[in-house]
Amino acid sequence: MVVETRVFGEIEIDDAKIITFHSGIIGFPELTKFTLLYDADKAGGIKWLQSLDEPAFAMPVMDPLYVKETYNPVVEDEWLKSLGDLNPEETLVLVTVTVPKDLTDMSVNLQAPIIVNAENKAACQIIVDNQTDEFPIKFMIYDILQEKKERAGE
Amino acid sequence: MLALSRKKNEALVINNDIEITVLDIRGDQVKLGITAPKAVPIYREEVYLQIQEANKEAMSAENVDALKELF
Repeated sequence: MVVETRVFGEIEIDDAKIITFHSGIIGFPELTKFTLLYDADKAGGIKWLQSLDEPAFAMPVMDPLYVKETYNPVVEDEWLKSLGDLNPEETLVLVTVTVPKDLTDMSVNLQAPIIVNAENKAACQIIVDNQTDEFPIKFMIYDILQEKKERAGE
Repeated sequence: MLALSRKKNEALVINNDIEITVLDIRGDQVKLGITAPKAVPIYREEVYLQIQEANKEAMSAENVDALKELF
């Protein structure tokens, strides 16, 4: 299918790349079909979770381990029931990234990760609110990213 | 919105598989017990709203081009 996207213009999406959030993402139950987009040349750590229902809805997401190596919240199996049989090696964990005008205020939401079953492309967003101190909604990442970049460039 | 009055230890049944019981009432605080299938997510409203707000903020990413320079 051809879809209009927020960051990449109009592109062709293979049906096999469609990710289904059976309950939508939190606060937006009507948005259930997404795809994951990224720039292969300048991939960096950011990918875009693009809504296929609503072209203007796209969220930057990233691997939480890139900015917090110890990210390992306690998740009940029941929370992931809608994803079907989950093979740990085919499980993708992403966190949403907030990108304000002032990039130094960039943050990721460690409290509401997105879990994707790469085998059947089912996904859900869960809340790990039993561990709010360790996994805040706004975990600042600008300094971490800068440090990583500097280290990589050395 | 449907408004129903309940006393302590009385309950509501929603959709055959969800039961909400008033466990205790003290001053302006009510303690509720919820029995529901484990796949049904239950959130405190303020937490749910915070996450909704964070999702909204993420969707309105501003400095998209500058992002690429960070990696």
